[in-house]
Amino acid sequence: MDIKEIQNLIKFVAKSGASEVKLEMDDVKITIRTGAREGGQETTYVQQIPVAAAPVAATPPAADTSATPAEAAPSKAAEDDSKFITIKSPIIGTFYRKPSPDKPAFVEVGDNINKGDVLCVIEAMKLFNDIESEVSGKIVKILVDDSSPVEFDQPLFLVDPS
Amino acid sequence: MKIVKLDAIDSTSSYLKQLMLSNLLDDFFVVTAKKQLSGRGQMGTKWNSEPGKNLTASILKKFTHLPITRRFYLNMVVSLAVFKTLEKLGTPNLSIKWPNDILSGNFKICGILIENMISGDTIKSTIIGIGLNVNQTAFPALPNASSLKLLLGREVDLDELLMNLIEELRRLFLGFETMNDEGLQMKYEARMFRKDKPSAFELPDGNRLSGSIRGVSAGGKLIVEHEKALLKEYGFKEVKLLY
Repeated sequence: MDIKEIQNLIKFVAKSGASEVKLEMDDVKITIRTGAREGGQETTYVQQIPVAAAPVAATPPAADTSATPAEAAPSKAAEDDSKFITIKSPIIGTFYRKPSPDKPAFVEVGDNINKGDVLCVIEAMKLFNDIESEVSGKIVKILVDDSSPVEFDQPLFLVDPS
Repeated sequence: MKIVKLDAIDSTSSYLKQLMLSNLLDDFFVVTAKKQLSGRGQMGTKWNSEPGKNLTASILKKFTHLPITRRFYLNMVVSLAVFKTLEKLGTPNLSIKWPNDILSGNFKICGILIENMISGDTIKSTIIGIGLNVNQTAFPALPNASSLKLLLGREVDLDELLMNLIEELRRLFLGFETMNDEGLQMKYEARMFRKDKPSAFELPDGNRLSGSIRGVSAGGKLIVEHEKALLKEYGFKEVKLLY
């Protein structure tokens, strides 16, 4: 059972309105206690039973159940990009540089953009999100390939605002 | 309410998007077309429809402050509005196939394409694209498609249907920005196709497994319960429901 499955389980229990759920599987025993029905605090205990089974990755107590599963994207070498503005992905999804496969890209490196211009589309659960620029400037770098998955907060574009 | 009625256009949603670039449009501005030359579905797929027989419309909805985290609730409102409109006509066995296809029995009758305009972490506006099979009766090569005429046994007036849909959207969007999402989620989940029914799923690697749909996560992922009470969340295209 990995952390994601545990998180899902916690979410499910919290949503179900049950006050306590105990679950025993081959090598883990989990007790999830929810607070008041009104979604107050939740306490979670995850206990690893010491069995001589294959070592499972340590399961830390999943404390923060409300946090989004998205993790910060790897922040690459800062170099001298400090004078540039990084445009990041507001959601997890699939990054598209074109409005449709047979159309040209919204922006290319070297293009001047204005506030409000559409830079890319990020698709999530079949919802298409046109990402508008909040700044004006010149596209210095496009950090993600067309049609590839992006995480929440992952840098997408470098813009020179000067 | 303003409606632009076109005889033919590449896509009503693309046209509406173009209009927005140079005009300040009202909430619920509508574009319809008798014929779409390149109607769009999912990224890279097409929506085909016989000219003049179906409802192909795009509707603009603007927001004052809608956080991007609520995007799937927006999808729920739209899906429920279409559902309700068709229910009032007497369409049998309606359900919402996650994330937003409308089915009657096992047949798809309506596709929805939602395009959000995002600025920072808010949704400024959305274009709701509707492709509803109304008076078309033959769907060659689409064994899972049907239409209102086939289901109801009568022709349905397209203008009246559009008016009913807009009215339903207005009603459900009223207060949406300040609404609590729990009730909305319950309504959506209660109408989900094959909810709580043992079903077969196919994963992108071709593996098949059984499970039951239990609902959706806040981000819109499909929650499926597999054997031994194992719950999994799937994104769009990470799982295919077989039916």
